[in-house]
Amino acid sequence: MNLRTKLLGSALVAATAGFVAASPAQAATICFAFQDLETEFWVAGHQAITTTLQEGGHTVIERNANEDANRQLEQVRDCIAQGVDGIIIIPQDGESAVTIVNEAQDNDVPIAVFNRPPSDLSKGIIVVADNASIASQAVDYIAQEAIAANPDDMLQPLIIVGDLGDPNAVGRRDGFYEAINRYPDNFAEPIEVASEWDAATALANLEAAVTANPDIDLLFTSSDFLFPTIRSVLEPRGMWVPRGQDGHIMMAGLDGDATACQLIQDGYVDATGVQDLYFEAESAMNAILAAIEAGEAQPNEVIEDPGFALTAGNIGEREMDMWGCVLLSQGFLDQ
Amino acid sequence: MHSPMKRDDGDQASQTAEPQRASVWVRARSIILSDYFILWLSIAYFLALAPFLPTLTNPANLSNLLSNTWPLLAVAIGQTFVLTIAGIDLSQGAVIGFTSTVMALLAATTASPDVLSGAPVWGIFIDETGGLFHGLPFSVTLSLVAMLMVGTLVGVMNGLAIAYLRMPPFMMTLVTMIVISAFAVWITQSENIRHLPEHLIMLGKGDIISVYFGEQDRSQIPRREIFTLIGYPAIITVALAVAAHILLNKTVFGRQVIAVGANRKAAEISGVPVKRVIVIVFAISAFCATVGAILYGARLEAGRPTLGEGTFLLDVIGATVIGGTSLFGGKGKIIWTVFGVIFFVLLSNTLNLMNLSTFHIDMAKGAVILCAALLDVARNRYARELGG
Repeated sequence: MNLRTKLLGSALVAATAGFVAASPAQAATICFAFQDLETEFWVAGHQAITTTLQEGGHTVIERNANEDANRQLEQVRDCIAQGVDGIIIIPQDGESAVTIVNEAQDNDVPIAVFNRPPSDLSKGIIVVADNASIASQAVDYIAQEAIAANPDDMLQPLIIVGDLGDPNAVGRRDGFYEAINRYPDNFAEPIEVASEWDAATALANLEAAVTANPDIDLLFTSSDFLFPTIRSVLEPRGMWVPRGQDGHIMMAGLDGDATACQLIQDGYVDATGVQDLYFEAESAMNAILAAIEAGEAQPNEVIEDPGFALTAGNIGEREMDMWGCVLLSQGFLDQ
Repeated sequence: MHSPMKRDDGDQASQTAEPQRASVWVRARSIILSDYFILWLSIAYFLALAPFLPTLTNPANLSNLLSNTWPLLAVAIGQTFVLTIAGIDLSQGAVIGFTSTVMALLAATTASPDVLSGAPVWGIFIDETGGLFHGLPFSVTLSLVAMLMVGTLVGVMNGLAIAYLRMPPFMMTLVTMIVISAFAVWITQSENIRHLPEHLIMLGKGDIISVYFGEQDRSQIPRREIFTLIGYPAIITVALAVAAHILLNKTVFGRQVIAVGANRKAAEISGVPVKRVIVIVFAISAFCATVGAILYGARLEAGRPTLGEGTFLLDVIGATVIGGTSLFGGKGKIIWTVFGVIFFVLLSNTLNLMNLSTFHIDMAKGAVILCAALLDVARNRYARELGG
């Protein structure tokens, strides 16, 4: 029975417990240092990793840096002092990740970076989604839909970019432009709205952008966690309209969270790029446990999550391949 | 019923107990009022927790404690001067973020156009060939001098507004914090600037004296056990602390600082150049924050416009107040701040070792700062009583 099959019918904890994690000869102590738990993606990833490790008999030391790179460095140093066998981090950004990976490797502690890659990919176990490809797939779908609906018009796209110090945000923006640039005759210069991965910043900047440019035809958010923010900006202006009705803005995101799944089902959102959260969590855990078992202190490996785009067109077939839809089916948004 | 003899015994016992109680009370008061109270408290706290947290006394952890102490102490020294004149400097965190960015803009060895080409500084201060001073002789030194000047200038502006425009320090430094933070984020478009020169990184991480403890065999993986005992951050911060101690406690200027904090009006009447003292104090505060920016930026190997945000100021002000520098002004010593920072770093470290969540750690820190503020009130009262 594979991981995804297990996920379909069971609760998150039970599902994550089913990971085929490598089992070292003896229980390991793993430091799990994360930068924050602000979005559904990080919450689900955190739960998957901690639950699975604990159920595998390993000790997990958790450290929340509260979005402070210096604090995360100090926390990782504390973990090393405590004699942990391995470290899994979700870094604040790509630059601090490089420093922290070096710190761990200098102390001969194997380290895996979950989802947010260091600027230098040559050191550490790095589990990362192919953000550019995933974003491109999602944006290409809505671009084609928008062109089909208005073949003769020059359409106005808008992208909400993340913190560009985060390579994930850079990859997503690159994927967006790659898709839009395929149709130079159909799209005007995109409007860029900075979010810095912060809902309040995104709200202020998107309000300004929409006020200045009320005729937006296509909107891509670099993370699904901003959909509630987008709704709060568009709805009062009569721009939050479902598919099939006049005034619908083609919308896509990236992450694959439960809110995005619900909004695609309801017709407000048209696509989202899906990171396979459980694959990524499983890969990070397996790689770090295997390194500990093998006595490898400085394992270097890049594990790529190819991801896919869940769209209004394929939701019938691929819904349960998206972690957010699995959570949604378990009543996540009703909790 | 008690016999008269027994009553006499009781009276005698109570008579001897009274002076004993009084003596204990006097001793407790003298400990609380002692310059070394927080040091004793830190030692007691360390010894009390050591049996329950074995990692606490582990050499790697002690090395971490030291390395976390230096940059915080550098910043807290500046805040000590400001609190001593009954002010507060909320802009220190923003100065750290801004000046660490300036440092990287001047000293970086290269930069990626993919990341920075959209920033207003691209092509002016930094490009693919590095920062503005990269390639010049003594480029690191030049960059550090320039960033220290920029940081100090921010402090001078704070001081001028507070001294001459009579702006409340809280309001002025709050405005500076907001403006400087936003400016740092704008000039870099929120990007961190990497590729600092090795010599610069050494200032945040370099060892001078290290200790080798042999191979550790508790873990499944053998690892090196070399711990930094004294590094460049220690040398820089100790030099700063000694200079600040002499300035605050051994010079006329130091006495003027304390006089301004104790009673500004009286200081003015006594001929103290109050306005000049205020300007210099805020310049010192920003200078110390900039030294902190060197240490934090170098250890993170990047200039970061958001460095010093979040709860960082809680740590700085908390450590200074815990040390004993009065929030009401007129009372401050660098040695107190040294002890306060040691206690605060120890507190953070032990809370981490207890595996508490960040939120619980911040709540615990807040509670300790509250206790320190209450203690400050009590110390002032006892001091007045003793004086009276």
